[in-house]
Amino acid sequence: MAALFDYDENREAASAAKVRALEALLIKKGVLGSDSVDAVLSHFETVAGPFNGARIVARAWLDSAYKRRLLDDTPKAIAELNFPGMNGAEGEHMKAVANSESVHNLVICTLCSCYPWPVLGLPPYWYKDPVFRSRGVREPRAVLREFGVPISADKEVKVWDSSAQIRWFVIPERPAHSEHLNEAQLAALVTPEAMMGVALVPSPSAA
Amino acid sequence: MFTRFEEYAATQMLGQPDSPPRSEGKLFFSEEWQRTVFGMALALSKEGHFEWEDFRKNLIHTIAAWEKNACDGETTWDYYERYTMALIEVLEQCGVLERGELERQMTPDEPSK
Repeated sequence: MAALFDYDENREAASAAKVRALEALLIKKGVLGSDSVDAVLSHFETVAGPFNGARIVARAWLDSAYKRRLLDDTPKAIAELNFPGMNGAEGEHMKAVANSESVHNLVICTLCSCYPWPVLGLPPYWYKDPVFRSRGVREPRAVLREFGVPISADKEVKVWDSSAQIRWFVIPERPAHSEHLNEAQLAALVTPEAMMGVALVPSPSAA
Repeated sequence: MFTRFEEYAATQMLGQPDSPPRSEGKLFFSEEWQRTVFGMALALSKEGHFEWEDFRKNLIHTIAAWEKNACDGETTWDYYERYTMALIEVLEQCGVLERGELERQMTPDEPSK
């Protein structure tokens, strides 16, 4: 079995050499700009991704008035933070819901897999899985338990179905022992899974 | 629905056989060449050199070909190796590259054509 996972270093080097040669050839032919790769990938790496959602959550944790505005009018509150790639259509249709001592929120999508890209980045591979989608509706507590998030019986579980009209994301609960952290440090704790409701934000002492 | 080509292109692949590796909401590259080849395909299609769906057809086809032969233990799985093959193929199909042009570029000492 181990052989299945062995990897030939020569093969890796051959792939790397082929890609470098292809890039050089395309640049020489004038088909590809020398900065085209970085330009197109910057969209995923710095413009639209989970780093935006993490900043929104950290701000909401630190500023209760901001959190209220975020829950009342999510696109407007997101616009306050002036993210470079989120003007107009990208920020539309988003709606935040907050976890609390009495409520846990789970976001799924039963129809079209609409996902709040600009704040959560690329969805995990199981997000489009029909099993996750249907079980998330029918037995969210069991699904959450399997994700390692057992929800006590006295806590309500709300399931939000994302669609083209509304793309939900979760403001997780702020972890214990995080009082000394600043906004950037708090944002570093927030994962896309926590903003989908399938994970909790770990306490920094436990992380 | 998508105002950005990048989002359209990546979303078409999600949940499909050609879905790219990702982690924590971000694309996952274990080597720099993987990032380069992913970005090249996106950039070239965005510039209009080929249709994204034509590239994806090649990618799905080459992935299926690997899966068909995987049990013979020929080669281990490598998404971006498949991705590179699919990109070269679509560039040859759309005429950006001549067949065999990249190989000739990589072995400049051998007589070309």
